[in-house]
Amino acid sequence: MRGDRAGAAGEPAVELLRSLTIGQYVPRASPVHRLDPRTKILATTVLMVVVFLARDFRGLGVFAAFLAGAVAISQVPAGFVLRGLRPIWFLLLLTLVLQVFFGGASGGTVLWRLGPFAATREGLVQGLFVTTRLVLLVVSTSLLTFTTSPVELADGMERLLNPFRRLGVPAHELAMMMTIALRFIPTLVEETEKIMKAQMARGADLDTGGPLRRARALVPILVPLFVSAFRRADELAVAMEARGYRGGEGRTRMKQLRYRARDLWAGLVVLGVGALVLWSGGL
Amino acid sequence: MSDPVVVCEGLTHVYLRGTPFESVALRGVDLVVRRGECLGLVGPTGSGKSTLVQHFNGLLRPTEGRVWVDGVEIRPGTAVVREVRRKVGLLFQYPEHQLFEATVFDDVAFGPRNLGLDPEEVQERVRESLEWVGLDPDRFGPRSPFSLSGGEMRRVAIAGVLAMRPQVLVLDEPTAGLDPEGRREILNRVRDLHRKAALTVVLISHSMDDVARLCQRVVVLHRGQVFLDAPVREAFAQSDRLRSIGLDVPRVTDVLLRLRAAGLPVRCDRLTVEEACEEIVRVLQGNRRWSSSEA
Repeated sequence: MRGDRAGAAGEPAVELLRSLTIGQYVPRASPVHRLDPRTKILATTVLMVVVFLARDFRGLGVFAAFLAGAVAISQVPAGFVLRGLRPIWFLLLLTLVLQVFFGGASGGTVLWRLGPFAATREGLVQGLFVTTRLVLLVVSTSLLTFTTSPVELADGMERLLNPFRRLGVPAHELAMMMTIALRFIPTLVEETEKIMKAQMARGADLDTGGPLRRARALVPILVPLFVSAFRRADELAVAMEARGYRGGEGRTRMKQLRYRARDLWAGLVVLGVGALVLWSGGL
Repeated sequence: MSDPVVVCEGLTHVYLRGTPFESVALRGVDLVVRRGECLGLVGPTGSGKSTLVQHFNGLLRPTEGRVWVDGVEIRPGTAVVREVRRKVGLLFQYPEHQLFEATVFDDVAFGPRNLGLDPEEVQERVRESLEWVGLDPDRFGPRSPFSLSGGEMRRVAIAGVLAMRPQVLVLDEPTAGLDPEGRREILNRVRDLHRKAALTVVLISHSMDDVARLCQRVVVLHRGQVFLDAPVREAFAQSDRLRSIGLDVPRVTDVLLRLRAAGLPVRCDRLTVEEACEEIVRVLQGNRRWSSSEA
């Protein structure tokens, strides 16, 4: 039994990167990739609002069809997109179960009973609706990060936030922080993997025992990880200063963002789909 | 030759299979590490060296192929993996980055404590391991690992692996980023461990000088395949092949090759400075005798 667990211990470290497809950029030369990041950020925002306003399955169906089309055009493999749902499958399941038992108004058609709880037909429908909505939400936002490089994303954010600078929004600083954070996610994941492996090679047991033991088993991983994160931050700060970084004031950029005709078309399509979804729900 | 400790057969490893980031790191590697030998594992960056050695203690699973350690096959979900981690000690690149405890003693004790040994045994192993890497247990034991120099930290990390009392010690570029003194120190310690403690050593290195000085056999990896597997002398005699994949030969070999190219008929399979000196003297004396007899 003990050995079995030790065998399984090899897997999480190796699988860490694999399950982390959310937020990863997939370089391709598709029309979706070529859109201006601002267009994509705004479109994603519109889609997020729309998916929450959708009232029935017809609306979600229209939305899903549009999203499937967008994924196909983006050339990001569908399997890869779906893999992004892996980290949230538990959340989806929990949502579904809660809705099935408590979602329907009292007095719905009872499908079956589990002790004092009754699963209603209305609850089931409601549960499926909410989970579909969650899936669509995650897929549409991850499509943004799949097709937009972190630098573009931060650039787009900065430009979109620029008008609010007068109100005290530190647009450049926010964008820079975001770029750095996104840039270092893969690095830290890699680092975590390496440290986990190094400690496992010294017989560390990461996934047996109670919650307290497991929490304590994380110390040998978290301490080196923090140490290295601080070291990296230090190095990065020096490297940035060495290249004359002094904040956003008077900074020019090599790649200028410019709206093109395709951005207009993409925007119109998204607005059209949004209208269709809302209209089919009778809003 | 002595019996095999680690055996890889048709070992293939594919990272992130089924994603756009899929990459093949190893393609059908056959390799035998024999008990008591010191094997040099070399190859250009990205040739799969680190991936290969992580199969030796079950940290990575073969995508295809099989791996045996000490006659037992490593398979997922078997009791073997824990046992294998104890038998094969793996030291990663920049191992000082894995230190975490408040004192050197506790850090080195991490492995033995994971094995569930009693405190006396742990204490004994920690002392022994620290002595093996040339750190006085009484002086360094109570200190914080983060207060040490780079070379000392690395030796503490090596002690941490030695405290597991492995049969096979795998070192992934143990001298990277150290000053010459630190390098020499580490290499001498590794040589002592190999010779006196009869440890099987697998040394990954970019330094052909280090490999020439320590190892008996060299395996060259190139693009995930075994490019060359030969005794050191034979391997470094094939300088053209090595250079064709961007590797180099030890400096001693390089000097001999140049002498030969300049017309001095020396043998090029000498590895140490002493051997090379003898060879050059031999050839020069032979020349003189020959030329004087002619005169």
